[in-house]
Amino acid sequence: MFGIGAQQWADSWAGLRAIAPLMPGSALFGLAFGALVRVAGVDPWAGNFASVSVVAGASQIAIVEAIRTGAPAAIAVITALVINARFALYSAALAPVYAAFPLRWRLGLAHLMTDQSAVVSLERAADWPDPVRRRWFILGGALPFVAVWVVGSAAGIALGPVIPDAWQIGFIVPLMFLAVMVPGLRSAPALTAVAVATIVVVAARGLPFGLNVLAGALAGIAVGSFVPERRAATAGPVPDDGLAHDQGAGE
Amino acid sequence: MRAFLIFLAAGIGTYAIRISGVMLLGDGRELPERVTRALRLVGPAAMAAIIANSLLLDEGQWRALGAWHAAALVAVGVALWRRSSGWTMLAGALTFAALLLAGL
Repeated sequence: MFGIGAQQWADSWAGLRAIAPLMPGSALFGLAFGALVRVAGVDPWAGNFASVSVVAGASQIAIVEAIRTGAPAAIAVITALVINARFALYSAALAPVYAAFPLRWRLGLAHLMTDQSAVVSLERAADWPDPVRRRWFILGGALPFVAVWVVGSAAGIALGPVIPDAWQIGFIVPLMFLAVMVPGLRSAPALTAVAVATIVVVAARGLPFGLNVLAGALAGIAVGSFVPERRAATAGPVPDDGLAHDQGAGE
Repeated sequence: MRAFLIFLAAGIGTYAIRISGVMLLGDGRELPERVTRALRLVGPAAMAAIIANSLLLDEGQWRALGAWHAAALVAVGVALWRRSSGWTMLAGALTFAALLLAGL
């Protein structure tokens, strides 16, 4: 089918099965993002465009919040890029996994890189020593996972206007991030970063355009990186990004 | 149109971050330890900032104590207890819905 061989379909199917348990979380998070797009009065088509171009929920929500509060475009973009800086960590860890892939595959798979698909790729890469079969395994998980995110957010955008104000759908924002952040929170640097970020955001609440969020995130990273880790970090192939990646994690 | 351009710029910048390691590293070259340590804190710091801004504040002012704080406390408790995102979401959402129904 589509000029793709049976072996490639089988390898892609294995990739899909590996990431399938994480898909409901992606769909739910997409729904929440879509609903917020409408609450904030952002153009529905721009919201759909965001899910295929940015492909990173937390940063997309931050942008919607920035637009809602009338922030300058530069601040919205910079806040999003600070949040997405964590992908540099996955990209570095995935470099040896992608090394034998043709350039167009590396460029394509990079756009489909999410927290979830990166973690699955890093955990399972050793099971797929053949680079051709490995790239189909990774594509088979990464592409459907992004598709679920895009369809979920489109559904949220379509349903958004139906959701009554009384439901206070905005609560999904802190709840979603608490669900992703708190379960993985263990190390002293991460706890420090969380405490500093929280204090700075609240103390700087007078700043316009959601600048307090940007200031809080940067202060948390800066202060936290001076706190020593108690022991050497885990030796596994997956970089510890301090977040939970179990079933139902949205991001 | 403005929202499109913002998302486009964020999309291009995010793609640059996503290809950075894949294109520049490999062959034994690795990120400096200092950079890795800082990047590890991006997730927790950014998420804490978003949580604080959306939960504790409302339009830049303190949010009045109520269902938001109570449901978030329950969610944090479940998160520390079960160490699971799914259970945290479920507990937080159910608590919030129950509090709203109770008229809080």
